[in-house]
Amino acid sequence: MSGRSTRDSRREERLQAESEGDREERRKRLLQIGSAAVFLAIVAVAVLIVVSQSQTSGGDTELEDTGLVSRQLNGIPQNGMVLGDPRAKVTLIEFGDLQCPVCKGFSEEIVPDVIDSKVRSGEAKIEFRNYTIISQESIPAGAAAIAAGEQGRGWSFVELFYRNQGPEASGYVTDAFLTEIARGAGVRDIARWNSDRKSDKVLQEVRDTTAEAQQLGLTGTPSFAVQGAGTSGLETLGTPGSAEALEEAIEGAG
Amino acid sequence: MIATFVATFGIGIATYIAIADSGGGSPVCLAGGSGCQTVANSSYSHLLGVDVAVFGIAGYVLLLAAALLRGDAARMAGFGLALAGFGFSVYLTYLELFKIEAICQWCVASAVLMTILFGVNAIRMVGYVGRPA
Repeated sequence: MSGRSTRDSRREERLQAESEGDREERRKRLLQIGSAAVFLAIVAVAVLIVVSQSQTSGGDTELEDTGLVSRQLNGIPQNGMVLGDPRAKVTLIEFGDLQCPVCKGFSEEIVPDVIDSKVRSGEAKIEFRNYTIISQESIPAGAAAIAAGEQGRGWSFVELFYRNQGPEASGYVTDAFLTEIARGAGVRDIARWNSDRKSDKVLQEVRDTTAEAQQLGLTGTPSFAVQGAGTSGLETLGTPGSAEALEEAIEGAG
Repeated sequence: MIATFVATFGIGIATYIAIADSGGGSPVCLAGGSGCQTVANSSYSHLLGVDVAVFGIAGYVLLLAAALLRGDAARMAGFGLALAGFGFSVYLTYLELFKIEAICQWCVASAVLMTILFGVNAIRMVGYVGRPA
């Protein structure tokens, strides 16, 4: 209260010292500057919002389940296309095609349980390898996932792609769609991601893992394999129908 | 006095978010929530490659300077900055609720501080300019 009264008395003194005309002019000037401040503030916020929106919307569609995917993978390390503690003794490998609807079903119904029970605890890590069998569009899609993996967002990209998957070979895998998925997955350096996903190294990796899946005799996607101290190299599992089957395979490989 | 305290507190919060994020991690939510990581990992957390929290630090520093300085320019600048900060905080809160679908307690704390600063700066300006001649 004493602070306020001191301020009031100062203001009174100042106001008394000023002539009536000066005060009126001063008030007008302050209102003008105040209006300018409000205008500038609104412009600043508008610019920030436009920049924020323009860098987030890669296309004209809205991504589904961005928050859900983020929550599902929250707190789990991602390195390249591997999800989970790099020191985990068992590796579960998913050979998948991002355009494959059965893979999408696995991603939504089965893999989350395995992530929660085995990957989050550090018992196993899970790796995504491209097995492109649907159409040519699966190749740039897989390369985009690997490029996201270069920035620690490989699994976020794969999961978000599955959640927003379109009909097989319908032409929806455009640059705009892939960019939107990358942004939604949290890929920060989009220019680097763009350059990586078109590089020979990344495209070759898509071809190599596809050839590997064929050599292993895998006939469809998703196909799983497991590797650990209890296996001799990569042990194929085919397409187990439940999370429990995958969990048992992980336990057997440890 | 209030503005000085709140702006200083805001610098602290924004700096914590920026440091936590720059280390490749994210701010730690109290009570074990995961909202902070979800928000920090979202593509909305950066503007032109710069962490949004860095904009927050800059805003709070300028608001602190405006609170400490006397004169008409400081009053107007303080009001304009607080209005911009408040408007941007409203937008960020909208993103958290409806786009990212996660709430980060540190971001909410910052939004509350920015709202207080907007109120204080508005009173500071209106109380002065609005006084009848």
